Amino acid sequence: MIEFKNISVTYPGGVEALKNITLDITEGDFVIIVGMSGAGKSTLLRTINNLVKPTEGEVLVDSKNVTNASKKELKVIRSDIGMIFQTFNLVNRSSVLKNVLTGRLSQVSTIRSIFGLWPKEDKDIAFESLNKVEILEKAYVRGSNLSGGQQQRVGIARALAQKPKVMLADEPVASLDPITSRVVMKYLKQINQELGITTIVNLHFLDLAKEFGERLIGLKDGELVYDGKVNDVSDQDFENIYGRAIKSSDLLGEDE
Amino acid sequence: MKIPSQPLNQKILKYLITFLIVVGSIWSASGLEITPDRFLSAPGKIWILISAMFPLDLSQEAIDRIVPKVAESLFIAWAGTVIGAIFSFPVSFLAANNTSINTISRVTKQILNIIRAFPELILAFVLLPITGLGPLTGTLAVGIHSIGTLGKLSSEVIEGIDDGPLESIKSSGGSKLNVLFFGVVPQVMPTITSYWLYRFEINLRASAVLGIVGAGGVGAELINQLRFRDFPRAGTVLVVTILMVLIVDTISAAIRRRIIKGREIIV
Amino acid sequence: MNKVPKKPLPSLLAVIGYPFTIAFSIFSFFQIGFNLEDFKRNFANRRLVTDTLFNPKWDWAIENASQALIETIQIAILASILGCFIALPLSFYASRATNQTTTTYFIYKSFLNFIRTIPDLFWAMLFTVAVGLGPFAGVLALVMFSMAIMGKLLSETIDSIDLGPLEAAKASGAKHNQAVFSSALPQILPNFTAYFLYIFELCIRASVILGLVGAGGVGRIIETQRIFLRFDRISPIIIFILVIVIGIEQFSVWLRRKIL
Repeated sequence: MIEFKNISVTYPGGVEALKNITLDITEGDFVIIVGMSGAGKSTLLRTINNLVKPTEGEVLVDSKNVTNASKKELKVIRSDIGMIFQTFNLVNRSSVLKNVLTGRLSQVSTIRSIFGLWPKEDKDIAFESLNKVEILEKAYVRGSNLSGGQQQRVGIARALAQKPKVMLADEPVASLDPITSRVVMKYLKQINQELGITTIVNLHFLDLAKEFGERLIGLKDGELVYDGKVNDVSDQDFENIYGRAIKSSDLLGEDE
Repeated sequence: MKIPSQPLNQKILKYLITFLIVVGSIWSASGLEITPDRFLSAPGKIWILISAMFPLDLSQEAIDRIVPKVAESLFIAWAGTVIGAIFSFPVSFLAANNTSINTISRVTKQILNIIRAFPELILAFVLLPITGLGPLTGTLAVGIHSIGTLGKLSSEVIEGIDDGPLESIKSSGGSKLNVLFFGVVPQVMPTITSYWLYRFEINLRASAVLGIVGAGGVGAELINQLRFRDFPRAGTVLVVTILMVLIVDTISAAIRRRIIKGREIIV
Repeated sequence: MNKVPKKPLPSLLAVIGYPFTIAFSIFSFFQIGFNLEDFKRNFANRRLVTDTLFNPKWDWAIENASQALIETIQIAILASILGCFIALPLSFYASRATNQTTTTYFIYKSFLNFIRTIPDLFWAMLFTVAVGLGPFAGVLALVMFSMAIMGKLLSETIDSIDLGPLEAAKASGAKHNQAVFSSALPQILPNFTAYFLYIFELCIRASVILGLVGAGGVGRIIETQRIFLRFDRISPIIIFILVIVIGIEQFSVWLRRKIL
């Protein structure tokens, strides 16, 4: 489903974020990427929808080359890839519904969307997505009036409204407390299982990765240092990925 | 005990500012031949003038002359603000460095700076021979100046937005236009609208003055009455103007607060 | 699926506001009056302006306007300094944070608001009648102008200061005025400097046109020349002011970065 072929990313200024990564992710997988901050997790995720363009190598999604796609092709590919963010990235002044409808933008003519003349099917998709994360009753509430956990659920609904084949989550729970973190992870897992959407999640917390992940990918200083089943991973492997002993701040904790 | 000394840099800056203020005042006051006792006698003199205005001239004839002129100032200010808002809005996207190209942004900003540097009154008398005596000239002058000020302020608002929502729209396959309309505009609209209203309040004061050069509004009325030493009528002009400005300021400030606060539930 | 919530009604502001705004705008444009015939006739005069405006007579301006230009700058300097320093104590009385007495707070606040409603040139006209024609009237007008703006900006800044240090000073036995002087004043001093530069810039712009009503400065020369449509003599003055204003702006940006 997603193939990384020898990709490297060097940012202007000479920082090497990724070094020669080759990976293959199969359809329907639930993959968790762990690593210290600055290890290249966000960069790797963003090469999948070309928000970051690899300096070398290429990424294929559904056998389509993302890295060398034309602007037009890229829009089509991106419309199949949902993304949720650490900071939720909702437009705070707009209603929840309008935020979710932005997930439908690639399917609706620009003129219609600007004047708010959304087709009924698209509105229904938006409502359905909100229902999926059980926040439908907030459809007409302003983004800024929701709690962090609720905002992230709207973020998931927005991505779902794209009817995506792939879901990318960049540190989705880093701004949330432990309880809501697990709720958000639960929704992501549920969507992966029920709809078969290939899901890739960047996480910092090891215990959360163990609890929800199937396949685990470890990055350290832009290099691939672990790739295998979550169940097989040992504390030694984690210490390898982090380059030091595990600290309590690497764990989310158990206050459920 | 060793007492640390204040950093030299800060000290120099402080002394430099104080020095500039003292020297600037002395140089200016002596150049203009202004002495403290002239200042002290000023409040008494302005009091005499104000006393001469009361009782106000509230005759039907005075009211019939003055109120339409004050209203004309209101229309000039509003129409000028509308011109400023309509033209500055698209321009501000060209001027903001995050929605424009580097060179275009820099050139647009310079143009806005130059427009802004001309006071309305100077624009008005330069336009006067071309657009004729009357409120049309005043409106254009207020409008052009507003394009400069609103363009600058709005572009700064656009530059200050949160990039997150833009990235999320881009990641879902949205076009540049989609990003603009669903990422940028909803974020900047409340602040920009409140700037429009604030500009209207300022323009009201500017348009009241424009009559001095014949560009419409209440200004001509005040200067004429003062020249003819008809102080009660001048007083009426002043009071009606102040009342209108106060009313507009109050309403506008209330609407601005409401816009910034926003509504909890929206469509 | 759960029940889809009902679409809420649009806000009152939107229902009344949008149609009213559009209607009032159209009405305003009608009131201003745009007559195509008049416009065409007048537009034929455009060369009167363009030919002279873009042909500045530098020699004439240097010889005849230098003295008045210096006067303009002196008016702006003196008025902005006086206005801002008078406004400094007034602002503390016009802020809820440093003045708990409702009556005096209300009086000072209204006083500053009232001064702000009168346009700068109206003040200039009034002062020319009260104290006579000349730059002194201009200085007084701009003192009122800068005092009102500084008062508004500064009192709003004081409203939002950190009250902790003020409380601490009072807890250690300081009198109210001492506490304000030692704890509140230092907090707002950087803002005061920034506002002062902004107001100085406004005063330079405003002082150029004071002469149109006889309140001194270079406006006196602009007034006599504009009546005879000698824009070639006015444009060097305008360009010079433009350079000064942009210079001050650059200096403010630099200084603001240093102190804030």
